[in-house]
Amino acid sequence: MGRRFGSLLVKETIQFCRDRAMLALILFLYTAEVVMCTVALTFDVKHVALAIVDQDGSPRSRELVERFTVVQEFRAVGRPATEAEAGRWLQSGRAAMALVIPRGFARRLSRNEAAPVQLLLDGTNSNTAAIARGYALGILGEFEAERAARLGHAVRMVRVERRIWYNQSLSFASFMVLSMIALASMMIGVIQPAASIVREKEAGTIEQLMVTPISVAELFVAKTLPTLVMCLLAVFPSLLVAHAFDVPMRGGLGTFLALTGLFLVSAISLGVLIASVTRTLQQALLVSFFGLFPLLFLSGTMVPVESMPDALQVASQVSPLRHYMEVILGVFLKGSGFEDLWRQALALFVIGAVLFASAVIAFRR
Amino acid sequence: MDIRRILAVTRKETREISRDPVTIWVSLLMPLVMLFLFGYAITLDVEDVPFGVWDEDRSPESRRLIDAFAQSGYFELVHSISGERELDEALERGVVKLALVIPASFGRNLARGRPSAVQVIVDGTFSNTAQIVAGYADAIVQEASPPARPLLRPELRVWYNPEMRSVNYVVPGLFGVILLAFPPLLTALGVVREKESGSIQQIFASPLTSAEFIAGKLLPYGLIAFVQVLLVVGFGLTWFEVPFRGDLGLLFAISLIYVFCTVGLGLLVSTLTDKQVVAMLLALVLTLMPSFLFSGFLFPIFTMPYTLQLYAAAFPGQYFVETSRDIVMKGAGLREVWVNAGALLAYTFAIFWLAAWRFRKKVA
Repeated sequence: MGRRFGSLLVKETIQFCRDRAMLALILFLYTAEVVMCTVALTFDVKHVALAIVDQDGSPRSRELVERFTVVQEFRAVGRPATEAEAGRWLQSGRAAMALVIPRGFARRLSRNEAAPVQLLLDGTNSNTAAIARGYALGILGEFEAERAARLGHAVRMVRVERRIWYNQSLSFASFMVLSMIALASMMIGVIQPAASIVREKEAGTIEQLMVTPISVAELFVAKTLPTLVMCLLAVFPSLLVAHAFDVPMRGGLGTFLALTGLFLVSAISLGVLIASVTRTLQQALLVSFFGLFPLLFLSGTMVPVESMPDALQVASQVSPLRHYMEVILGVFLKGSGFEDLWRQALALFVIGAVLFASAVIAFRR
Repeated sequence: MDIRRILAVTRKETREISRDPVTIWVSLLMPLVMLFLFGYAITLDVEDVPFGVWDEDRSPESRRLIDAFAQSGYFELVHSISGERELDEALERGVVKLALVIPASFGRNLARGRPSAVQVIVDGTFSNTAQIVAGYADAIVQEASPPARPLLRPELRVWYNPEMRSVNYVVPGLFGVILLAFPPLLTALGVVREKESGSIQQIFASPLTSAEFIAGKLLPYGLIAFVQVLLVVGFGLTWFEVPFRGDLGLLFAISLIYVFCTVGLGLLVSTLTDKQVVAMLLALVLTLMPSFLFSGFLFPIFTMPYTLQLYAAAFPGQYFVETSRDIVMKGAGLREVWVNAGALLAYTFAIFWLAAWRFRKKVA
């Protein structure tokens, strides 16, 4: 039995390695795709187009304007003469924010009265707007605090010391790298076994395998083992990419690989399940596409699960990718070990077991 | 171009589509499923963030501050922390996303009119949310603490989306994404099917010109796509209560151009391959992925590096997503959107010219 299984495994491995297009796709997804998306896709806000209306024209107001123009969060696009014109710039999309310093700004400051400053903000993209607002208020706060220090009194009764943990530089890149690695594992893990089994079905060679003394369990394992090994190996080039983007690896590599393996079992079982219920390659691809698409984007890979409505949060519990995302973020950014991640590991195990069992049952038929 | 011959192709294609109820259901239901899933799921709004408190002070002042957090609607108190270890654990496990640390002297200092400080620790794993959360925390602390003497009085006005709901932004963008996901795939499969089965040879042998064939194929798929537009726009605006400020007629007119553009992309894909599987994968790479990731739907284009901005400009999604948002949210008229609308029109003509040219080459 060992020999029979061994030769089948050899056949599957050879077949797997011969499929150049698939290997290229795997490598592409684990490296090029990760790089491209990490470089391009970000919610970080930089270079917000800023229109400046300085009606005061005093050294004080120029000092404030300069604070806005020297940081890279804002990009000055011009100086409309009036507030109304600034409004038109917002409407046409030429500027996303306008800073209006009314006449009398310096005079009020010198009298220690609160000087009004206006900020007009294009709220279409609520997310960009919220962050740009934070930056702008931060700059105003600094200006105020420095001036207050010179005068020798405090502007705030309670000072907030802000600490950001796990991702001090607040870059979206580390999140995106890890998210794309998880996405790649999920896609390959599902599509590869599905395609490989359906192809044998279409070609009719599965009948030949059925009449050999090979048991269903052996066939199942032989079909899925190369994918599992390949996906685990493919993680390594991604680790290099992650390293290139300065993503820290705070946790253990062993923990990461073990939990990745556990996750892949769920993904592969899902692939086998799809292959069992479809007849042609096109059907299999369509089903995995429509099945994968919501799964990929509803598991906290693009937007955090916490901000979704409760019903969807509960639904996302059945997605192995959601738990895996927590694992990969935990291991890399927080340095979590098994003792922190046992809940996710348990969830992955349960989902994997259920999917695996139904895949074996469906496959047997 | 003979209108009768075009209609004959259209009639034949319509009959074939109507014989395949699965395709019809998929093409009408999937856009709505996507609309609802993404309309609900893609939100970056921050509310009910779980937070923990390490209150070393336990004074009326510190309790007032904690109450201000809990009642703001942005935060939900889930954990009372005592000690450094517990703080580490709560953040590491993800039980809390924000921890508020109030030092022992807090209340006493404030009572004596002396400035004091609190610590706010934020889980920065998802950088974007972290920044917004930290901003809210700042604002709440300032609001809850006794007034001092401010030197600046910032007046903030948010236009177009004053409540800053992300669904107002997501739904008009989704129109563009969904339309780039389905019509091209459907059209490409419709033509490649004839290639695979060989029936296209009969078309070539008939007096039908390639332009007539393409026009005939275009009409039924264009119609399906336009029904998708009506469904998605109708449900999107009413169900999600997105305020509509612009001209509905203008939105539909530009949608019509966009529909032809997406169907044209499908036709172009169909001239590149003879296999349905390849057609599907091509449609994914050329339409779905860029429309989702590189159209400005979710990730703003102005923050991308320049080369990737050029890449984004090579796909039609960006032009429509911008136009749709301008019309829905800003109430923009033709005067404001003509640049994007013109680009879309030019793009559509280019796509058709390319498709017809590729198609003719095959025939010769």
